[in-house]
Amino acid sequence: MMKKICRYLSPLLIAALVLGSLPVAAAPASSGSGLVTTQDALNAERTRGDHERIHAILARDDVQEQLVAQGVDPAEVEARVAALSDAEAAQMADQLEQLPAGASVVGALFAVFVILLVTDILGLTNVFPFTR
Amino acid sequence: MTPNRLRHLASAATESARLAGALALAMLLLVMAGCASTPRLADTTRSELPSRAQLADVPFYGQRDYQCGPASLAMVLDASGTPVAVDTLIPQVFIPGREGSVQPEMLGTVRRHGRIPFLIEGSLDALITEIDAGHPVVVMQNLSLPAWPLWHYAVAIGFDLDENEMILHSGMEPERLESFKRFDATWARSDRWAFVALAPGELPAGNYASGNLDAIAEFERVQGERAAIPAWEALVARHRDFAMGHFALGNARHATGDTRGAMAAFEDAATQDPGLAAAWLNLGLLHGDLEQADEARTALEQAASLPGPWQDQARKALDDLKTGV
Repeated sequence: MMKKICRYLSPLLIAALVLGSLPVAAAPASSGSGLVTTQDALNAERTRGDHERIHAILARDDVQEQLVAQGVDPAEVEARVAALSDAEAAQMADQLEQLPAGASVVGALFAVFVILLVTDILGLTNVFPFTR
Repeated sequence: MTPNRLRHLASAATESARLAGALALAMLLLVMAGCASTPRLADTTRSELPSRAQLADVPFYGQRDYQCGPASLAMVLDASGTPVAVDTLIPQVFIPGREGSVQPEMLGTVRRHGRIPFLIEGSLDALITEIDAGHPVVVMQNLSLPAWPLWHYAVAIGFDLDENEMILHSGMEPERLESFKRFDATWARSDRWAFVALAPGELPAGNYASGNLDAIAEFERVQGERAAIPAWEALVARHRDFAMGHFALGNARHATGDTRGAMAAFEDAATQDPGLAAAWLNLGLLHGDLEQADEARTALEQAASLPGPWQDQARKALDDLKTGV
């Protein structure tokens, strides 16, 4: 009996959720007076369609999850993601793992050490403080 | 020694010789790729800028662990007039799992603290032009080779054209001197990524009308229209003929209740670019709100005559005006 109800209820719930969230996501932010906003005008000028804007909104949720998984304080995550532009949020959602992060560590293999020492001396790199 | 062992030794020697050869070839290729030469500055840069400049009022905050991102941000924010402690910035920009900070969040964090991050052109000329204008520049470098990256943020605070040296607050070292050659080689590996963090109302020294528009629009989204108005005013003062700048200023003024100011800005936008339908449309709608039917009709007719995404809305507003809704 329960199962039967669930079987009918869940597709309905999914549909309601999807329909309920999409129009909000796709609707351009309006200032209330019906003026064309700067963001709308820019979107139109750069021919960014609804599809890309929905993608950007979904990207923000995705970035929040990824940041929490990377050890960022969940209380901070929302404010961090809100400060990003759509393009920045999309970039982080798509390639957080590949994005260069300031101040990683070099894999300390000996061969790498020697090569980097030479390139440091040649003035191509700047890994070791004593070579300059 | 048996012949067998001899053969073994010989093959080991060949192998190490081969390895050494490969290494030498790799080095040769690197050098020949041209990254080893001192970068050349444009003649105009040399003639227009002083031979030496250093920003005295950029404080130095040493990085701890891998936190060059928060430390660099603290330095430029402080220099722009909003001191923020490194300890406040760490939970806002550092990603523990990556042991570092990524570029998008560096820009986002600047916005959170009421400053506008402007990306600048990736060239040594553009970089030292900003420093000469009094703007410290956050740069991203890869201090190592692309195969084993060592990503790093530093703050460029000065230059010396006679010595061909950059002056940077970097890592644990204030006022570090770095030759143009080494600096540019490490900077080039981040595609010469660099930005300035400025108070609303200030603009980068370089001419980036469209880039500045995007930067201010993103700032406005985070901090609201009131905070962005000085930035829009500075943008239209610098680029009088940039219609989108006037248009954005009009929207910001309208959002803060300055209807007259908004109409003046939309008029400027339409004057500079009579093809900017959105400016005509907004101007007409505001005239309509003030019950100035003639002016409203003139502007809306302009908007309705221009093909594009706002044409339908303009036609509808024109109809409403005729029926007196």
